[in-house]
Amino acid sequence: MEFFKKSLDPIVALAIIAVFDIFLFQIVGAWTVGGGETMIAGLFVKALVGAKEMNRIPFWRMVFKPTWAYWKIYISLGMGFGALVSAILSKEFYWRVPKHLSEWVMITIGGLLMGVGIRLSFVCNVSTFLGLTPEMNLGGYLAVSGLVIGAWVGTWVYKKILEA
Amino acid sequence: MITVDGQCLAAFVFGTTVGVLVQRSRWCNTAALRDAMLFKSYRNTKALLVAMMILTVGFTAMISFGNGNPMRFDVGINQFIGLFLFGIGMVFAGACTVSSWVKTGEGNIGALWALLFLIVGLFLSSLMWSFSYWPLAGQTMTGHANAAGLQFGWADALTLQRDTGIPAIFFGLIQTAALYALYRRILKRERATLAVEGEAKPAVAAPVATVSPTLAKTTDDAGRASAALPTLGD
Repeated sequence: MEFFKKSLDPIVALAIIAVFDIFLFQIVGAWTVGGGETMIAGLFVKALVGAKEMNRIPFWRMVFKPTWAYWKIYISLGMGFGALVSAILSKEFYWRVPKHLSEWVMITIGGLLMGVGIRLSFVCNVSTFLGLTPEMNLGGYLAVSGLVIGAWVGTWVYKKILEA
Repeated sequence: MITVDGQCLAAFVFGTTVGVLVQRSRWCNTAALRDAMLFKSYRNTKALLVAMMILTVGFTAMISFGNGNPMRFDVGINQFIGLFLFGIGMVFAGACTVSSWVKTGEGNIGALWALLFLIVGLFLSSLMWSFSYWPLAGQTMTGHANAAGLQFGWADALTLQRDTGIPAIFFGLIQTAALYALYRRILKRERATLAVEGEAKPAVAAPVATVSPTLAKTTDDAGRASAALPTLGD
């Protein structure tokens, strides 16, 4: 198929996603990502320790009761599935493994910081830029400010590490 | 009213569409911020702004007609602090939540590793959640301003419309105009850069590449060489 033979302009891609997101906003709510991962974390730990132990943690008892019937999980799984299908059809699927220990360390710290940040703020980057801010939520403006400053600090630190 | 199964199916179809489009376009939210700051490259930033403009008009128009599902969201200083940490994390990991899933789908083990530790971070944070104490205090998040809990209550286009009696789309159009002004400014800056590059032939890679030998060269949509951080094996 011709679509999978050439790359797509990101402006076109994001414009299409935005139109679909307006439909999703009407059906269930705007596109968000962190909630799905939070529920996946809860379901995974619940499978390991059991429902009784899980219920002892206030967050999982009062805020996020682990359940597979949470629509945001399927956005995340869908993104992985869509990318896999697209990568296979465009012959761009191949295993890529970070070569240096420093990369593994940076990715690990980065992943942890993203997870802690999402839970502290109750939003991720997607719901910041493409959910809260278009809804003109004050939290969106605060989150955008924090994200831009954080990205600037992260870029500065990363650049210093690379130069060293 | 849509059923739970219908919600999950709609979410999966949407997610799959996003996965395909992001994979084909190589769009990345991390790059939208990092490349703009580091390399003055705005390929991803422009796409983000276009999506924000469309969504602002769409969401506020729907809110004006009493449609849509805006987030009932408690606003507080925790949003600033949390996303500050997230911003550092996504640059370190070289991917945000979306590109982590998309790169994992492409077979990138580093992205899968980032996702795993994002989930670990989410779970560890959940252990800190308390109903009574800040941060993450359920008791202070009531939808109303709370100075002691550093919470500002619930404030968005819907509350603006309710409090002022002016349709939300009016405020949405003002925000869209501000986003468009930023977009125009970026286009102007790009044109100026292209004009300078045209005068100083031959074109060379971004100056950062000379300082950091580990930076890899990539090509942007205009066919110009630029430098990119070698994260996640890209």
